Amino acid sequence: MQRLPVFIAVLVLAGCATSQRTSFPPPEGPASPQSPAPERPQSQPGDQVGTPAPQTMPARTAAEASSPAVLSLMGRADTLARNGNMDMSAATLERALDLEPRNPFVYQRLASVKLAQGQTGQAEAMARKSNSVAGNNPFVRADNWQIIAEARRTGGDRSGADEAAGRASDYRSASQQLMR
Amino acid sequence: MAQKKRSTRSPQRRSGTKKRANQRPGFFRRLLPYVFLLGCIAAAVIAGYMVYLDGAVRAQFEGTRWTLPAKVYASPLELYAGLDLSRSEITARLDRQGYRASSSLSRGGTYRSSGGRLDIHTRPFKFWDGEQAAREIRLGFNSSGVSSLSAIDDKGDIALIRLDPLMIGSIYPKQGEDRILVKLGDVPPMLPAGLITVEDRDFMNHWGVSPKSIMRAAWANLRAGGVVQGGSTITQQLVKNFYLNNRQTLVRKAKEALMAILLDAHYSKPEILEAYLNEVYLGQDGGRAIHGFGLASYFYFQKPLEELQPQEIALLVAMIKGPSYYDPRRHPERATQRRNLVLDMFHDAGFLEDDSWREAKKAGLGVSARTVRSTSQYPAFIDLVRRQLLGQYKDADLTEEGLRVFTTLDPAVQAATEERVSKGLDQVEAARGIERDSLQASAVVTSVEGGRILALVGGRDAGFAGFNRALDARRPIGSLMKPVVYLTALAQPSKYNVITPLDDSALSVKLANGDTWRPQNYSKRTHGNAVPLHYALTHSYNLATSRLALDVGIPNVIDTLKSLGYNGDPLSVPSLALGAVDMAPLQVAQVYNTLAAGGYYTPLLAIRDVTTRDGEPLSRYPLKIKRAVDESPVYLTNWIMQRVARFGTGASMYDILPRSLNVAGKTGTTDDLRDSWFAGFAANRLAVVWVGRDDNKPAQLTGATGALQLWSRIMADIEPRGIMNVPPEDVVEVPLRMRFDPSRAGGEGAYGYDRDCSRTAQVPFVRGEVPDGLSSCDSDIMQENRYRRRQPPEQREQDDGNWLQKLFG
Repeated sequence: MQRLPVFIAVLVLAGCATSQRTSFPPPEGPASPQSPAPERPQSQPGDQVGTPAPQTMPARTAAEASSPAVLSLMGRADTLARNGNMDMSAATLERALDLEPRNPFVYQRLASVKLAQGQTGQAEAMARKSNSVAGNNPFVRADNWQIIAEARRTGGDRSGADEAAGRASDYRSASQQLMR
Repeated sequence: MAQKKRSTRSPQRRSGTKKRANQRPGFFRRLLPYVFLLGCIAAAVIAGYMVYLDGAVRAQFEGTRWTLPAKVYASPLELYAGLDLSRSEITARLDRQGYRASSSLSRGGTYRSSGGRLDIHTRPFKFWDGEQAAREIRLGFNSSGVSSLSAIDDKGDIALIRLDPLMIGSIYPKQGEDRILVKLGDVPPMLPAGLITVEDRDFMNHWGVSPKSIMRAAWANLRAGGVVQGGSTITQQLVKNFYLNNRQTLVRKAKEALMAILLDAHYSKPEILEAYLNEVYLGQDGGRAIHGFGLASYFYFQKPLEELQPQEIALLVAMIKGPSYYDPRRHPERATQRRNLVLDMFHDAGFLEDDSWREAKKAGLGVSARTVRSTSQYPAFIDLVRRQLLGQYKDADLTEEGLRVFTTLDPAVQAATEERVSKGLDQVEAARGIERDSLQASAVVTSVEGGRILALVGGRDAGFAGFNRALDARRPIGSLMKPVVYLTALAQPSKYNVITPLDDSALSVKLANGDTWRPQNYSKRTHGNAVPLHYALTHSYNLATSRLALDVGIPNVIDTLKSLGYNGDPLSVPSLALGAVDMAPLQVAQVYNTLAAGGYYTPLLAIRDVTTRDGEPLSRYPLKIKRAVDESPVYLTNWIMQRVARFGTGASMYDILPRSLNVAGKTGTTDDLRDSWFAGFAANRLAVVWVGRDDNKPAQLTGATGALQLWSRIMADIEPRGIMNVPPEDVVEVPLRMRFDPSRAGGEGAYGYDRDCSRTAQVPFVRGEVPDGLSSCDSDIMQENRYRRRQPPEQREQDDGNWLQKLFG
């Protein structure tokens, strides 16, 4: 598995090397159902530009945004991937998606697996899908753009890769500001 | 595995011929050589025939003894903390899969429900990704569903576990045998013991035929003056099933006896018994013959053979005598009587204790409802599975190799959809004075993300394997096409946004063939030249939409339609804007699924994995996604479709659905009210419903009065989660108060957006494309907007970093 190092690198990049199994918060976050009202009262980037309003901190790791069941599947998928069993790893992540179909961390992990499998098109699509369900979570987006950059570089798209890497670093500095 | 330990015993032993005294020696002496020759020939023929029979017997027994139809499984239920199913919903599912309430929980396939908890001893099962062992688990509940999951055996913690999936059918030849193989060592010992007791007491000792029972039967037949009783041994019955047709002639009887003796000579008693267990005919399900105890156990009790109780074993043994005559579903009294007789025989033979015997006789038959596990339950879905498989496998692979096909079907969603379709049509017919049973319908439900097909209904009577309308009834889609037109427009954000004024005045277009196309609004009225774009879609205005489609260009609309996943080649005509393209409900579902998934196309799938009989993976159908259209215009389009549901042609759905639930959708109605469509979605469920007539006469229904009525009831039953409305990176939302009033159309102030910041809606725009001077409530966006408009497009790309900094700064 010559792509294994890539996978592991991406895993580390994605900051998801942790897979604890106890004391997780209840399943909430991006994957939870039901928004209460049609006209959404939540704060959105649109009505907040320039105003650093008090904002709930977006989830930085899968552990903060996923249920124990999904985390256990992600842990299993990681093990499978480290052993080079990418197909089963992807299948296990798909099972996690059945449980939480809008969990950006699961899509991100799938993107890493696809990248490790050399499926750069799927890797980029999964990472963008992850973005599309990530809301304004700069942590997730930074890592997704990093994966996209990697995918484009592998696919021979230099300038595309640079552009993606630029976006990744923008999001990274945005997330650093958020951390302060 | 031929066992030849008894091959010394020749079946041709009884060949003694009586010799008569020669009376006319001269004649006979001359004839003798001929007689001898003839005798030799006869002996040779018989010997040859025996060899042939022997070959046939062994070939059948040792070769591919049975063809095994592929087994099709529904999606398994995952149990985990956070699952939104109540205790009673889960026990209903367990009951449906033949789980038995048991306080001891001592074996797989049992559960115990007490004190707000549910304990389950799961069955072991070989999934596509490996074997899952049986576990004993405990579920806790709160008001929203499962609150905790823990193991109560000592095999370690678990975070989630799958129930064994419901088997929903087999792929067998048109008129075919179906079976599930069992091993003698795995069946409850009471079954072989009971079989021998009831069918062939002498089984362990005879040579394949039992002269004793033949005599008994012959005597009975003689007295009755016809064939009333068979003296067949288990071996003979097996031979009869294996090799012979069903006629009761003497020649056939002789052949049967001969073959039984051969079989007994070649094979051990346990081998013969095991073959019998798997071969015996135990019922009929339409064109499918139920063979063997393994399948019969599922067919009648919906659980594996190992879990059967004494009275259930007795019933199956009782039915051998006449599976149709003693059919427990059609003739429960007859069946009970014979079952009890068999229980008595079990008891007399000494392998059923007094207590259990009495208890068993008191028990009901316990057969599951007719529909369960019958192939006729999900014919439309199985049809789709078969079609998807036929692309990859040969027919023979599917009907003979015992493949295991794991599908995406959700039994609960399917059941709800079937019921809502059939009841919904009754209601619609009654409410609108339409002739009873004149309407037809079909429906598709998907998971949105992942593109899994959860339910498929091909007609009013979902159990009837007829015309599969969900796949094959292609009808014009009418206004279901409109969102595609609007999406095409909104993909040009510098030209169109959700409040762009559209012209809804009368229109006539000269066509290439010389005709003139004059579309009209459903109300036959026009609404002036400044209908806000979102309003025209919300209320399904034909004129505004046609003009919009002509503006953006019909070929561009077709491109969008294809990107969304439509695989046909529609004619490039103006009327395409109003849905002049024929689609099957499944095709519509594919197109709308891409919208529902935010512009990401995933091919709709019914199958997730195929494995061999032994669980070796054969094909996976991995999740594939493609960014088909830009997220931002899709977000705007879906936002409008939520207004269709709230305020527009779909609003009556909220008579059924809770108002707190955000869904999006679109009605479709075709010329002369022939077709009634509704396509719509929540975050986790998409459903497309078609209602119309098979003869294509007017159904007298609009999308709202027909399909929507079914759709909202289906949706209410399948646990929808509201759309979240998290805008993509390039969308901003501006609070606007919208107050377009079509009754003042054409006049002053017919359209306008209050700048009053109260009572506003969040109106989405592509970043940088918010019309200037709209709102004072959101000056920062306005500022950014003006700034970005001054930049050339390439510059804008590079500025993304800047607005990002601002966004999070």
